[in-house]
Amino acid sequence: MRLGKQIRSTHSGISLRASLTLLLGLLFFAYGVVSFVTPVQAEPVYQEDKPANDFCLACHQEDGLDFKLGKDMIPATINPTQFGNSVHSDEGIMCVDCHTDINDYPHPKVKSKNARAFSFTLFVVCKQCHEDQFLKVQDSVHQRAIDGGNTNAAICTDCHNPHTQGRLTGKTSGELTPAARVNIPLTCSKCHSVIYDAYKTSVHGNALTQEKNTDVPTCIDCHGVHNIQKPTTVSFRNSTPFLCAKCHTDPAIMDKYGITTNVLNSYVADFHGTTVKLFEEEFPGQPTNKPVCTDCHGVHNISKVDNPKTGIALRENLLVKCQRCHPDATIDFPSAWMSHYEPSPEHYPIVYAVNLFYKFFIPAVLGGMIFFVLTDIFRRIVNSIKGVKHV
Amino acid sequence: MSGKKPINSAIARQERTFTRFMLGQRWEHAILILSSFVLLITGLPQKYRGMSWSQDLLSTPERVEFIRQVHHIAAIVLALEAIYHLGRAIYLMARRKMSADMFPNMQDIYDAWHMLQYLFFLRRDKPVYGRYNFEQKVTYWFLFFGFALMGISGFIIWFPVQFTQFLPGGVVPASKMAHSTEAVVAAIFIVIWHFYHVHIERLNLSIFTGRLSEDEMKKFHGREYERVTGQPASKLDEEK
Repeated sequence: MRLGKQIRSTHSGISLRASLTLLLGLLFFAYGVVSFVTPVQAEPVYQEDKPANDFCLACHQEDGLDFKLGKDMIPATINPTQFGNSVHSDEGIMCVDCHTDINDYPHPKVKSKNARAFSFTLFVVCKQCHEDQFLKVQDSVHQRAIDGGNTNAAICTDCHNPHTQGRLTGKTSGELTPAARVNIPLTCSKCHSVIYDAYKTSVHGNALTQEKNTDVPTCIDCHGVHNIQKPTTVSFRNSTPFLCAKCHTDPAIMDKYGITTNVLNSYVADFHGTTVKLFEEEFPGQPTNKPVCTDCHGVHNISKVDNPKTGIALRENLLVKCQRCHPDATIDFPSAWMSHYEPSPEHYPIVYAVNLFYKFFIPAVLGGMIFFVLTDIFRRIVNSIKGVKHV
Repeated sequence: MSGKKPINSAIARQERTFTRFMLGQRWEHAILILSSFVLLITGLPQKYRGMSWSQDLLSTPERVEFIRQVHHIAAIVLALEAIYHLGRAIYLMARRKMSADMFPNMQDIYDAWHMLQYLFFLRRDKPVYGRYNFEQKVTYWFLFFGFALMGISGFIIWFPVQFTQFLPGGVVPASKMAHSTEAVVAAIFIVIWHFYHVHIERLNLSIFTGRLSEDEMKKFHGREYERVTGQPASKLDEEK
């Protein structure tokens, strides 16, 4: 419309200035048409013109930028020091790499109805760089909850604040740093606080939180990281002994603490464990009523077995666990389970004696029988060769 | 008794026979064979759960449950049979209606020593046995104690909660160990010892027929033959 007006005006008043304007206008128009029709080369737009982080921070380090979205306040102030320490800053990631819709001021209006909805529009950009982790999350219990309508379930940014997230893995090793490991339960505790409270008091959690001991499992060692699975399924339960065994059969970890690595073998040797192992291997989805590690030792609140209060080395404490399946069990019943011990004169002398007895009894019986039978056969053969008649 | 007589005399026309086992005892043996066989074939897969053949057999929880129930039923049958056997033996022996021939005595030691000498070519004659020879007594008493042990330990591992009301918990794993180990020992014993003596050494079907021929009596149970008939059992005695 504006162009049309311009053309009409050039016809009415002839001047050099007007014709130059017309020419320029036509050139612009032609360029516009050509560039619209010909495909644009796939090169990042504004690559050079991207506003630097300092440019954004010039405003965003100011207090009082928070804005209202529905009933929620959205914090928009970024602490430059915190951001400077973050892995994203370290890697030279720019604000607008994630805030892709912002290029200049004034910013486009945020259309989301509330803070959570706003997070949901933003977190998908994580996939640009972290596709592997992002796709794993798609298979996780958190994603399933989101799909089921629970928008409180964790998305990337709930665990990893992109403005403050420090480096989690060693630059060269690629392994989780001790500091990152210590921090994991705190991250999960933001939602799973009840479990964290139990974990804190457990032998594992206490060592991690009090002694910064990273030999112990954090949340992710049992539950996984991004593709966290539902831990209440039958197959998860059936696999529990093998999960615990990852560390508890590893002498490199256990020897330091004088803990036996025979726990899995002794468990599988007993019929509870035999059955669970069979289920795990043959039909992991089939429920079994046999106990797994956690049924006796606890889950997040695992305590040392010789803990004077809660340890299951105390028969009274173990009995409570037994009674969950054997309600009529009495105080002598728990010792029917050999507590991962190899029978020895000190531990389970009766079983040791039975073993010892058969160690001698079987060769003695076998030897005696075979001796009698073989000599009898021999004498018969000799008899028949010699022609001796009696039997 | 009167009904049996014609049959007896009919056989006697060809060959004189001696009653060795009563009909009830023969039935007991049949029940024993059946129940122990079922116990063995349902027990072994449970003992060797780590083996692939066992896992093929017990490939579903339902099958595990089934095989256990069959094992328990056979166990009850065998336990009832054992109680009947003991009760009957005690009752009859107390009333002097059954001989105590099955109990081991010094003669068995002498006989075994005699047999050992024979097997080493130190003697030319075999021992002359009574109603039950030492080999048969070894069979009976080995399995007697084996079955007793398996019975007791079996019920302990079947009812661990009840037994630990008055026994220490350690008896449960000890029973578990003893039960299946003893079972394997008993199975090997039957195959090597019992099968050799009743099938290979000579085919002895008296536990099924109930009878021994006069010839068999003379040859294998000479002293019993002499006791019953009052006649000398064999010429072999004269030979030595």
